[in-house]
Amino acid sequence: MDRTEIEKRVVKVVCGVLGCDAETVTPDSHFVFDLGAESTQSVELVAAFEGEFNIEMDEDAALEVQTVGGAVEFIAKYV
Amino acid sequence: MKNESDMHPAGAGEEPPPPPLDCIFCPQSVAVLGVTPTPNTVPYDIFYNILSSGFRGTVYPVAPGKRSICAVRAYRYVLDIPDPVDQAVIVYPADVVDRALEQCGQKGIRSAIVISAGFREVGPKGVAREERLKEICHKHGIAMIGPNCLGVINTDPAVGLNASFARKMPAVGRIAFLSQSGALCTAVLDYAREKQIGFSKFVSFGNKAGVTEIELFDYLHRDPLTDVILLYLEELRDGRGLIEAARRVTRGENAKPILAIKSGRTPQGADAAASHTGSLAGEDAVCDAVFREAGIIRVGSIEELFNAAILYAYQPMPAGNRLAIVTNAGGPGVMATDAAVRCGLNVPPLAPETKEKMKRALPAAANLKNPVDVIGDARADRYAAALEAVLEDPQIDQTLVILTPQSMTDIEAIARRICQFRQTAKKPLACSFMGAADVGPGIRLLQEAHIPHYILPEWACEAMAVVQKVRQWRDRPTTAVEPLPVDRETARAILTSNGPGYLDEDRALGVLRAYGLPVPEYQLCRSADEATAFADKIGYPVVLRVVSPQIVHKSEVQGIALNLTGAESVREAFGRMQQHLRSAVPEAEIRGMLVRRMVPPGYELILGAKRDPAFGATLMFGLGGIYVELFHDVTFALAPIDRATASRMVRHVTAFQLLRGARGKPPADVGNIEECLVRVGQLVADFDRIVELDVNPLIAGPAAAGNAVADVRIRLTE
Repeated sequence: MDRTEIEKRVVKVVCGVLGCDAETVTPDSHFVFDLGAESTQSVELVAAFEGEFNIEMDEDAALEVQTVGGAVEFIAKYV
Repeated sequence: MKNESDMHPAGAGEEPPPPPLDCIFCPQSVAVLGVTPTPNTVPYDIFYNILSSGFRGTVYPVAPGKRSICAVRAYRYVLDIPDPVDQAVIVYPADVVDRALEQCGQKGIRSAIVISAGFREVGPKGVAREERLKEICHKHGIAMIGPNCLGVINTDPAVGLNASFARKMPAVGRIAFLSQSGALCTAVLDYAREKQIGFSKFVSFGNKAGVTEIELFDYLHRDPLTDVILLYLEELRDGRGLIEAARRVTRGENAKPILAIKSGRTPQGADAAASHTGSLAGEDAVCDAVFREAGIIRVGSIEELFNAAILYAYQPMPAGNRLAIVTNAGGPGVMATDAAVRCGLNVPPLAPETKEKMKRALPAAANLKNPVDVIGDARADRYAAALEAVLEDPQIDQTLVILTPQSMTDIEAIARRICQFRQTAKKPLACSFMGAADVGPGIRLLQEAHIPHYILPEWACEAMAVVQKVRQWRDRPTTAVEPLPVDRETARAILTSNGPGYLDEDRALGVLRAYGLPVPEYQLCRSADEATAFADKIGYPVVLRVVSPQIVHKSEVQGIALNLTGAESVREAFGRMQQHLRSAVPEAEIRGMLVRRMVPPGYELILGAKRDPAFGATLMFGLGGIYVELFHDVTFALAPIDRATASRMVRHVTAFQLLRGARGKPPADVGNIEECLVRVGQLVADFDRIVELDVNPLIAGPAAAGNAVADVRIRLTE
């Protein structure tokens, strides 16, 4: 799966979980500071990424990821 | 409102304007950064509390991805708010607080309360985060409370700010409460609500990375709505700054008392101190003594803190320590009398006119002496008559009313009658309605009328004793530290020619002599001939003491010979010591033997000094010699000291009873001891390199014989 496809699907998941508009999401967007994720939503995001990409991620490491671009990089290692 | 110049941070190279604490307590607009829409979470509750506490300004939620919070339009970033903002309350997770704070700086916000935890308290990563916040505050001139705190409350109806996650806004009052612990704040607020105690300001300052208790003291000193300041402190960083601020607040014009709980211990330096002062000065006693000298009244519990605070805040300052007790039960009256006397209060006889007035109103069985017993069947009229009489007594400064709930006691009527005195009494009045369930309604009436109430009469006496300390502190004359004439250059020459570590004894004595301490005549002798010649010159008996940079504890290696009465004994001791030391401490460089007159016996005292991590140069005085660690009869003060402080130090220790001449023994030259303390204080204040100094013992002989330094250790740093 190429990077563009991963990014597109990551943005879709982020918007779905956090309820934000896709046009406000950039690779630099911070889940908390820019997109308003609450602490419980971080866990929801990890679960949603795993479901979207059909992968199983190291949860502790996944929760360290703070930006959309970071999530793309992280998921790319699994797909 | 802000003008244009206030809205922008100072340009490069300019000093930022002073921290605007007014924006902390009296903002016209507040942005809460990191709000979430989930009730019962800190980010939501903080915003909700500001909204619902009657805040008179404007509040903006900053909540990325949310259109509104509690029906208030939300903003993605603080920079998106179109209007000026005075205060930011930041509730984001720790790892993005710096971004939020930086945007606050760009927005021109001058005050911030960082509620978020995850900073210095969590270790190195948190320390780095906190340093980053400090940098941002410095760059933009932001006054910051926190991080890791409960928040700030200002009950002033003109402001009505509850920027905290406390459950309820406290009542309006004249007590300011500052706390390093956020969790304690919530408990204190709950406690105070139950007792109907109000606050002017309530501040949880957490890690105090920005605004500290020192700036808060100065702000509250100027605050017209605050009469008394309460402090809960866990960690002292700038102890000297705290003390200087406390002295500004607690004395002079507009003086306000500071009552403090200081929990925990002053951290001892990693280098375990070898001297007596080193091991003792790290104790909590330093904090105790230093607070005392700054007018900070240290108490041990929240109960004590508020017991004293309500008496001070609600009642006039008593003119003296004379207490009248009015009771309907003999036993509690006696207990209260015992407690009063134990606390330093006086329970004097009442004036004859007072007794006469009471005689007309009370039954024959009543006890008209102090404590006044109005007898168990007393109702409101009897209490009123007794209270009126004792309050008018010129020999009485304050009154305690005790009530026990007997079957005929009309508790609420008595409480109401006492409350009427609140308007007219010019002397402090406190009550103890003993019990719980039956006396409860009466207690509530007293509390509503701001008559201090204590479940136990002993607590009332303790609170009165605290107020006495406040009065005595204010009455104490202020004196300046006047440097005494000393030979500073000689001391400097000795100190600068020596590296870190302990000074050899001859050099340490040289420093003390230069500063005017009573050092007996001495000489460092390199041969037995030199030693005997010098001993012949100064007269016998003499003492020989080895001088070696490697030998600190001389007696442990037989490096001391005492009471040598003639030339032969000096010669013999010199040779014997030299021989022994060569085999016992072969690595030691023996510079020679110090010869000096044997100091006649007297009281052994210690005069010490140490660089305390929090307070800097700290002086110690007490019983010395072998008694130092045994009795801990010592006291402390910050150096330098004036003569009055020296006098108080000398009188504070139990050993003073010996020095003034106990059991027919002649008194010591106390004046000279005081002067020695002043001189040691001056020495350690003049030379930062002295990290430890121990004159132990200073032998205090009879006044005619004077005092003499018998041993000294001085340790230098780099």
